[in-house]
Parts: sequence; C-alpha cells; structure tokens
Amino acid sequence: MSQAKRRSVLTVNGEQHHVLAPAAATLLDVLRTGLGLTGSKCGCNHGVCGACTVLLDGKLARSCLTLAADVGERRVTTIEGIAGDLDFSAVQRALVESGAIQCGFCTPGFVITLTELFARDPHPGRETIRAALSGNLCRCSGYVKIVEAAEHLAGGVR
Amino acid sequence: MDYLAPATLDDAYRALEAEDARCLAGGQSLVAMMNLGLVSPARLVSLRRIEALRGIDLQPDGSLRIGAMTTHAEVAALTVSAAGPALLAQTARVVAYPAVRAWGTIGGSVAHADPAADYPVALVAADALIEVSSASGTRRIAARDFFRGLFETALEKAEIVTAVLVPPGAQGAGAAYEKLSPVAGDFAIASVAAIAGRTARLGVGGYATTPIRLEGIGVSDDALLEAGRALAASSEPSDDHRASAAYRRRVLPELIRRAVRTALIGARA
Repeated sequence: MSQAKRRSVLTVNGEQHHVLAPAAATLLDVLRTGLGLTGSKCGCNHGVCGACTVLLDGKLARSCLTLAADVGERRVTTIEGIAGDLDFSAVQRALVESGAIQCGFCTPGFVITLTELFARDPHPGRETIRAALSGNLCRCSGYVKIVEAAEHLAGGVR
Repeated sequence: MDYLAPATLDDAYRALEAEDARCLAGGQSLVAMMNLGLVSPARLVSLRRIEALRGIDLQPDGSLRIGAMTTHAEVAALTVSAAGPALLAQTARVVAYPAVRAWGTIGGSVAHADPAADYPVALVAADALIEVSSASGTRRIAARDFFRGLFETALEKAEIVTAVLVPPGAQGAGAAYEKLSPVAGDFAIASVAAIAGRTARLGVGGYATTPIRLEGIGVSDDALLEAGRALAASSEPSDDHRASAAYRRRVLPELIRRAVRTALIGARA
C-alpha cells in the first residue's frame, strides 16, 4: 500500500489549514497529529465509542470514520472550537456544575453531542437526551450525571 | 492508496476500473474496516460529489426511489404512510447512533451487505429493487437476489449501487422493524422486518448470513409463533460472538410475533 501523501485544505473551527497526509488518514489523525488539536480523543477508532465526535457542517460525525481527504468543503468544528478562550459554553458549564466529568476522556465527545442537540432543540426531555447520547460511551459509567447536566440545561438552570 | 472524488457517474466508472478500487460512500463501515486493518484498498472512489446519487423521488408506480447517497438520517425523517417506505423509515431510525446516521448511506449499507445490518432485512421484506449501474448500463436486482452471502452481493466489478426502489406495499398494510440487540444502536442479534395486512411478509436478519424472506404468513399469534418455530427448525442461524445459534432459534418466534403485532397497529383493514 502506497503511503504517498496528498494535500488538502481543511476548515477547522473557522480557520483554513493546508494539510499533507496519506489518503487513508482519518480526520481524527489529522486533527490530533497534524494540527495539534488533541481534544478529540481516539478511543475505539472504529466508530463505536464517540470520543472522537466532531461537527461537520453542524452535524455530528465520527472523526475516526471520516477520511481527511473526503472532508472537502465541509466545515469542521472540534471541542477546541466550542468555547471562547476564557469562558466555557453553556453545555460545558452544565457538565462542570453537575459533576458530570470523571476521568474526562469521553467528555469532548459528550460536549459536541450535547452542543448539536441543544442547537436544534433547546428544551429536550429526558428520553430525547438519552437517545441523543446513545452513541457516546463513558467507561467510568458516569451517565446519570451527564444526563442530569443536560436536563438542568434543558430546564433553563444555569 | 489513492483517493479520487469524481463529479459524475461516468468518471466514477472509469476510476473503478483500477485494480482493487472501492467506492467510498458515507465511510461508516469502510473506514472502520480500514482502521482495523481488515481492508486496504488500492484506490478509493468517493461518491460524495455525484449529484445523480442524491434525492428521494416518488415514481409513477408509487414506488419510492431513494438515491444511494441518501443518509440514514434522511430516510429516518421521511413521513410516509405506504407500508414499504414506512418500513424503511422505521428501520433507518434504529441504525447505529446519531453520528453514524448523519453520514452513513443506504447505498453503502446495501453494497457492504453486513449480515447484521438493518437495511438489507427491510429491503427484502419490502420487495425492494436494488438499482446498480456501470459503464455498460443499469440493471435492477430484487433485494432477495442481491444479498448472496457474508458481505457478498450481486454487484460486479466497477458497478455502483445507484438507488433502491421501494414499492408501496399492499394498500392498508402496516410495517414494523423489530430489532434485538444488547445495547441500543448495536448490530442486531436478530431482527424482523414486517409488512402486514391480512397476511404478513417478513424479512429476518442478523440471524443468518443473508436476510431470509417469508411471505403469506397468517397474522394470528399462533400462526406467527408457529412460522417462527418452523423457520428456526429448518434454518442454520449464525453462531458467533453476538449470540449462539440456539439463542437465535429461541428468540426468533417472539421477534416475529412482535414485529407483526406492531405492524398491524399501523394497518388499515
């Protein structure tokens, strides 16, 4: 298998990056090793765990199942693009305030997933929240607090 | 490996003539298999830019033509009453997770032919046609003839799945997809797709290497359980890491009963 690298342009968190990577490189590979954006985590590397979740044109995507070469014009948002330099986003604040973070490895994926949910439904109910989070695994099994954090946010509790 | 993203089907056919070239649709299975080292194609031909593979259209005969690059999320969002398309929509809603449904495509799922995947079961139950095209033309293959074995289909070299055609199903029939999996979003241990009115037509998946089709099944609980027991006795279910063959035989009758009962709730006499 040839390891020839190919050039592509990625728009990540509003900035354009010229990247040089093998055609088989995943978006996750390029984010972490090419661009130094290590917030997206590599858990299972085959789409099951959700730790690598990013937004592509505002839709949830597994960055481990997305080839960097195939991203094209789609805009990538990673966990690094969710908050300002000095402040957390509402989702991040809710998770912190509910104690919904244990080891933290899965947290970026949960933040991205909840960010997408709240962007299209500001007041999701418990079942909607649980369904939305069904593709994110927390190996600390801290799901109860994560769902509670989302319920607080949905109920307007800041 | 090289990567090409042609804008037209004709360019895609040419690109696929290369040795060991494969189509890349949503990538939700293929990239996972590449990451796991199970496949390493010499060339990927991305279908993402080909407009002809997109869109959902109602055909004059009442069939729904779903372009191959239609995502699971798009099929899941369909609001349709005809039993065949409704079955596809219900099935799409339980494929994997939201992030996978956002990019995974019906054409990719069909071409991949995972024995535990959801769409093949529903397509067989709906008597759908798989439309495949190459430089030498287009042919339509009945779903029940398309799935040939473990990850094996009727596709030939340099052929692309371009659409699926889903007939409406009998007037007044209802549809349901019943999936047994250890965790929501996981692959099925076994699943049953049903279109039911006075009788039921079923697809049974996850259960063996290819979907099994049953038709003309009576819709009383007794008849459904009996049909399930008869199939369990006469078939060779998979025996794998998801479940033993004995377990699959055991759960099948009740899965069939539940699928048809749910389908009949949506049926009109």
